[in-house]
Amino acid sequence: MLPYLLTSGLTSGALYALVAIGLVVVYRSTGHINFAHGEFFMIGGFFAYSMITMLGFPYLLSLVLAVPLSFCLGAVCDRAVFRPLMKAPGTTIVLATVGLSYLLKGVGRYVWGGKGEYISIKSIVDPAPFLVWGMPVLPQQLIVFGAAMLCMLGFFAFFRWTIAGKMMQATAESAFASYLAGIRVERVYTLTWGVGAAVAGVAAVLMAPLTLLTPDIGSGLLIKAFAATILGGLGSMSGALVGGLLVGLCESLIGGYIDSSLQEVAAFIIIMIVLVFRPSGLFGAYGVRRA
Amino acid sequence: MIEVKGLTVAYGGLTALDQISLTVNPGEIRGIIGPNGAGKTTLLNMISGISPPSSGDVLLDGQSILGWKPSKIANHGVKRTFQSSLLFKGMTVLENVMTGLHGRSQASPIAAALGLPSVWRDEREATHLAQSTLEFVGMSQFAERDGGELSFGQQRIIEIARALVSEPRVLLLDEPAVGLSINRVAELDTLLRRIRDERGVTIIMIEHVLRLVMNVCDRITVLSSGKKLAEGSADEIIANSDVVEAYLGRALDANR
Amino acid sequence: MTIIKFITPRSLGLVVFGVLAVLPAFANNYWLFVGNLTLVYIVLTVGLNLLIGYSGLLAFMNGILFGVGAYATAIFRVDFSLSYGLAIPLAAVFTMVIGVIVALPALRLSGLYLALATVAFAQFILWVLLHWDQVTRGPSGIQVPPVNYAPLTDTFENGHYYLTLVVAFIIVWLTVNLLRSHYGRAFVAVRESEVAAESIGIDLTRYKTLAYAVSALYAGLAGGLFAPLLGIVVPESFDLSQVIVQFAMVTVGGLGSIAGSVIGAIGLVWLQESLRAFKELQEVAFGGMILLTILFFPGGVSAMLKKWLPSWREPLRRRLLDHHEHD
Repeated sequence: MLPYLLTSGLTSGALYALVAIGLVVVYRSTGHINFAHGEFFMIGGFFAYSMITMLGFPYLLSLVLAVPLSFCLGAVCDRAVFRPLMKAPGTTIVLATVGLSYLLKGVGRYVWGGKGEYISIKSIVDPAPFLVWGMPVLPQQLIVFGAAMLCMLGFFAFFRWTIAGKMMQATAESAFASYLAGIRVERVYTLTWGVGAAVAGVAAVLMAPLTLLTPDIGSGLLIKAFAATILGGLGSMSGALVGGLLVGLCESLIGGYIDSSLQEVAAFIIIMIVLVFRPSGLFGAYGVRRA
Repeated sequence: MIEVKGLTVAYGGLTALDQISLTVNPGEIRGIIGPNGAGKTTLLNMISGISPPSSGDVLLDGQSILGWKPSKIANHGVKRTFQSSLLFKGMTVLENVMTGLHGRSQASPIAAALGLPSVWRDEREATHLAQSTLEFVGMSQFAERDGGELSFGQQRIIEIARALVSEPRVLLLDEPAVGLSINRVAELDTLLRRIRDERGVTIIMIEHVLRLVMNVCDRITVLSSGKKLAEGSADEIIANSDVVEAYLGRALDANR
Repeated sequence: MTIIKFITPRSLGLVVFGVLAVLPAFANNYWLFVGNLTLVYIVLTVGLNLLIGYSGLLAFMNGILFGVGAYATAIFRVDFSLSYGLAIPLAAVFTMVIGVIVALPALRLSGLYLALATVAFAQFILWVLLHWDQVTRGPSGIQVPPVNYAPLTDTFENGHYYLTLVVAFIIVWLTVNLLRSHYGRAFVAVRESEVAAESIGIDLTRYKTLAYAVSALYAGLAGGLFAPLLGIVVPESFDLSQVIVQFAMVTVGGLGSIAGSVIGAIGLVWLQESLRAFKELQEVAFGGMILLTILFFPGGVSAMLKKWLPSWREPLRRRLLDHHEHD
């Protein structure tokens, strides 16, 4: 049983990590957590659903197209919601993104119907599961895992070595100083929101063949992503990755060994325990500007 | 009245205060001066209880107040102001000053919710006290304006009123003259004297505006790099070459 | 036009309650239900406003504490056979205790961390409500009998309506008194600057805990009134969308304004009921209203009233956006 729990925990954990990474990118740059991030995921997934089911696009094409579509969604939300509120206190931004998430959820429900949708895909890889440590793993799950690692490495390199990445870090440290240094802070924010949303969208498309896509999927996933980032340390990209995997593992192990219904609740308990006892998480809070 | 013994504050390899000791007597106006980073605000933070020192003691009237919560210290008559003025927004200036009377009213929340007469009496009394304190500092014309609307300099004076309204025994002022024009500094000079003379308040103030410090302070303590450099009357301090050097550097000597 | 001069929070409040008081005379049972629901929400939003608007504590627990109050009432009534007269106050106190217990660790958190922790807590309690079958009967919930209002009045609907009306009125009156006193100033001081508040002698722990306790008490009371109104308590009434609805009411009405909370509650319950058939539109509407208010009308309805009505003076309001603000 243990190997099964481990593999299933790691694969769901990889998904959480991927969603968390998108969340952290926005936090790293703007200093705020976007409570609508789960809905970016959901709408990204539904974009792909529309493309695949209604327009008949092949899966890979939809995956590729999900990136710019989700990016646009994120960028639009930045311009409409976040940019006017740049100078507002933190609690206002939380309220605004909470409102946005509710709005997007309603939009998702309205446009794509309240029922859940399965994205059935003609698979590009042989859908048959293969064995890892003697346990069956779906290729799709490995793809999600691989994508999460790729993303993390990609962002790591991005922040370290590219100018855009350094600008994003600068805006996180101090928007004011960044202005003085000539950085177009608003543009960086828009870019960041777009990137964050794109990551969420990609994660959704990757995950879609594995699970049911519903308008409500965003909030549950958001909380798991919160758990992942808080566990790893708010602001830390590698923390989000490790945190996500750990959350997945915890859920899986708790569900397997203690009680299956406790699976849902593992994430909440993790959040509460970490925040009360060690708010900085495993890797310590990185450049926390406003908390 | 306020005594600081061997106060040391060190964190992360940095020593903000090193074995600082001083005694401020009742009715004194004590100035704390020194170059930036000397530890002046840290000293004030220790006295007002914002963070604990690494070692040493702080005594109020002979009683150690080490480890007391800032609100407890405030309720024992030690009030302070801050460098970056913090008037409460969403309240009028008068309400801001009334908030300074916080420790006065003993009414429980239930009594307040029921609107008992004792609570209304407290409110009326608080309003009068606040009004008279605003007059005392010369700001009563702004009583009904919102706390956030006034200029920085005006807010600083009202912050003093807010600290003063509860008839404290000690006032800790962190750079009260920042943001004040030359005229206002002169008014502040008069105000500080009146606070000491008419209300019997002991004042400890950090200040960079040396003219004000030299004029109004009875004694001056000079800090530099966390250590006490000198202490004495204004004349003694000016004559002290260490102090001059700390402020202006050796270059001045070299140029003579 | 001179009428406008007489519109103050107090006079408007009296008019509103006056209208609500005579509502049963010409409303059918459905509208009576809506009115009753509105009054329940008034109690909720006033408490939430005290927590978020006045004290600046962004906590997401009000929705679930509402549920705790409802469930506690149901359990006291059904399992312990207590009369409602005992069950509801007991449930309110019970909820307040839970609120304080949660407050203690929450005191250390602020802003974002507080929001996240309270969201997690709310979802956790929701899970407990769903799964603790022996006590909460799980997803199917607990059916509660209506309250017996004889000899005061024959119908449950009328009786319950008046009870809720009286309770809501008293709660609003008590809260306004509390906030006009130095307690109100202390809450605002804690919100604006904890450091400065402490420096004038305000014990942060005491005041934050008080804010949590009062809002929890109100939520529990509202839950107690809600349970017999609906006739059944189910977990899904108290999920995250419940909190968002409450947030919308408080925000649209105006953070930091009790009058605003009352107005917000009335307006948004009406909106919610009009859109009852279309869940997705409800979500779009409520989310949209939160966003629109924050973006274009910070300070909500009460700020607009303040702008247009010369006599509208309300102390200690909150301004959502402040361009001088330095975090």
